[in-house]
Amino acid sequence: MTKFLAVIKREYLIRVRTKMFFVMTILGPVIIVLFTVVPALIAQIKVGTTRIAIIDQTESSSMYGRVRDSILSKVNDEGEETGESEAARAVNSNAMTRAANTERARETSFQVEPVQPGGRSLDDVSRELNERIKRDELDGYIILPPDILQDGEVKYYGRNVGDVFTRDQIKDRISRAVRDQRMENEKINPALIEKINKPVNMSAINTESGRQESGGGFFFVFIVGFLVYIMIIMYGQVILGAVVEEKETRIAEMLFSSIRSFPLMLGKLIGVSLVALTQFAIWALAFVAFALYGVGMLSERGMNISLPPIPPIFFLYFFLFFILGYFIYATVYALVGSMVTTTQEGGQVAMPVLFMLIIGFYFAFPVIRSPNSPLAFWVSMFPFFSPITMLVRIVTQTPPVWQIALSLTIGFATVVLLMWLAARIYRIGMLMYGKRATIPEVMRWIKQA
Amino acid sequence: MNENESTLKLTNVTKRYDEFTAVNNLSLRVRPGRIFGLIGPNGAGKTTTIRMIVNITAPDEGAIELFGQQMTPELQDRIGYLPEERGLYKKMKVADQLRFFAELKNFKGERVNDAINYWLDRMGLMEWKFKKSSELSKGMQQKVQFIAAVLHNPDLMILDEPSSGLDPVAQELLRDVVLELKAKGKTIIFSTHQMEMAERLCDDICMINRSQKVLDGSLREVKHSFGRNAVALRIEGGSDGVLEDRSLVAKVERNSDEIEALLTEGADAQELLKRLIASGATVSRFELVEPSLNDIFIAKVEESQ
Repeated sequence: MTKFLAVIKREYLIRVRTKMFFVMTILGPVIIVLFTVVPALIAQIKVGTTRIAIIDQTESSSMYGRVRDSILSKVNDEGEETGESEAARAVNSNAMTRAANTERARETSFQVEPVQPGGRSLDDVSRELNERIKRDELDGYIILPPDILQDGEVKYYGRNVGDVFTRDQIKDRISRAVRDQRMENEKINPALIEKINKPVNMSAINTESGRQESGGGFFFVFIVGFLVYIMIIMYGQVILGAVVEEKETRIAEMLFSSIRSFPLMLGKLIGVSLVALTQFAIWALAFVAFALYGVGMLSERGMNISLPPIPPIFFLYFFLFFILGYFIYATVYALVGSMVTTTQEGGQVAMPVLFMLIIGFYFAFPVIRSPNSPLAFWVSMFPFFSPITMLVRIVTQTPPVWQIALSLTIGFATVVLLMWLAARIYRIGMLMYGKRATIPEVMRWIKQA
Repeated sequence: MNENESTLKLTNVTKRYDEFTAVNNLSLRVRPGRIFGLIGPNGAGKTTTIRMIVNITAPDEGAIELFGQQMTPELQDRIGYLPEERGLYKKMKVADQLRFFAELKNFKGERVNDAINYWLDRMGLMEWKFKKSSELSKGMQQKVQFIAAVLHNPDLMILDEPSSGLDPVAQELLRDVVLELKAKGKTIIFSTHQMEMAERLCDDICMINRSQKVLDGSLREVKHSFGRNAVALRIEGGSDGVLEDRSLVAKVERNSDEIEALLTEGADAQELLKRLIASGATVSRFELVEPSLNDIFIAKVEESQ
């Protein structure tokens, strides 16, 4: 027991005493804030004006004026076509769509000029415009076909047609102009249509808490899932590094002559988990302090922040599922660490396992949308996903207690199984120097031990 | 001390890795308070033998008895082990590191600090006590590793190639410390392929080659039983074919100003000296040369191949 505690103590103190731990604990929340604020700031930066020429082939160039006004207008055309709701967009916001949304929100300013063919053929005009684009006097040009009001195809030529945001904006705005023209032709008042299309107002109220929920609750779920995901990856890497260090520096042999491999490995896992929990505890205290004092102070100064209501039991669940996820992945990392010779090599070998965690993280989104679906149920039972998915379910719509208990039971049974497996590989792997263990070798060790 | 008492006893120990037999039917006995040399070429099975003694791996066959008992994890605490493959935690301070290794041997409390101070002082590392081990030179790190092996005051110490990488001064220090430990009644097992070190320190030796024991016993016995008596000579004049007398001298090797004469089996060195003086030679050096451990080692290795 002394030996086991000695290992835990060493792993804990050596990490908590570092400057890195201090910095990460303080900076962690700051980084999260930066991640949310910086994209918004970038979105406000204006990019240059897009200069476009328009060749109007309609009868007596009747569309030019309308198209020009539409393109130059600053009406927000976002979401109008797809009807996508705020929530749906948020759910789908993986990194790419988030960036896309940011870009879409950016206002592109346009400069429009008409092109007078003056009797020249379309080919000649195009050639001249291409020349101008080459000389950087123009960014692109649009050809409005004569039958644009029926089903004629508009053509957009440009240097940078890969810029989907500008392209979509142009398309939307020409569509609007065409639609308005069609309405006018049919003698329909556009103002009337706008009135008809006006969406209803709706607010969402949680039946359990009776509170009205804004997007804040969703944001909180996302943060929780992300936090578990990031912390498991981070501390999994720490375990990998710690195991490889003992192998690389050849300390393993000195250790094994004093302590058996299982308590050594377990002590290491527990010691590092305490580091993570210390970090969480500091953050939780900071959060509670902020909730108690900070929010009040800010609202006195006119800044209204509504923190999502967190029931105290959530902290227990968070603790349990974080520990579960940590031990599942950290055990795998310890096992991998004992098989390889360098941390880099370990990173590669652990890749497939890391994918499991990433998939688990992505499952969080469908789970948020329908936390009681069969899919949500199964992914929250699967031990490699449940640390994230079950937590997300608990935050969105707490499932029956038996489901939570079952998920935890399956999870911790998996941990026991993994540890049993890892302990067998660990002892032999740690004493093998110079080369990475192959899968057949590892299989043999499991049988032998 | 009882002659039959043994600190460590291996009986018919065999260890196989897949098809390869690392240690084959090895029996040996280490007596208390003596320095025991486990010698042999690289890959002979020394490290595997030691790993079984310290309970890192278990033998496939045979028995290992330590202090008269079967091996248990508790007995591990009475062993100090300096492996050949050894290291330190780079970012840990020397004192913390030593305390950690002591705790792993169930050695704790105030006596740990005393022991750390004693040993750091003895090895000349006192000023490095609170430095990280990555700041130490390789030789200093070796000394710290040695301290980690002896800090908890073990009854049996196993030192695998302890002097590799040490400068002559540090080697001398190590030798003194080992002799001090012996004087305190500790048993020490030395594993090395450096014969000179073994010859200067060991009371008993066991030589293994290709997984098997080829020779064991006290150093004196081993040398004696090897039965090679040579005489180093420096003479001027005379000799009158004394050295060519095959009933007395089996072989003569002439170096620059010295002659090494290998005596014929059963011949007496005193007789040779008498005959040389009688022949009128001026003898400025006459020394009986024991076979060195190195000679024995090479002969035995060649013999077994």
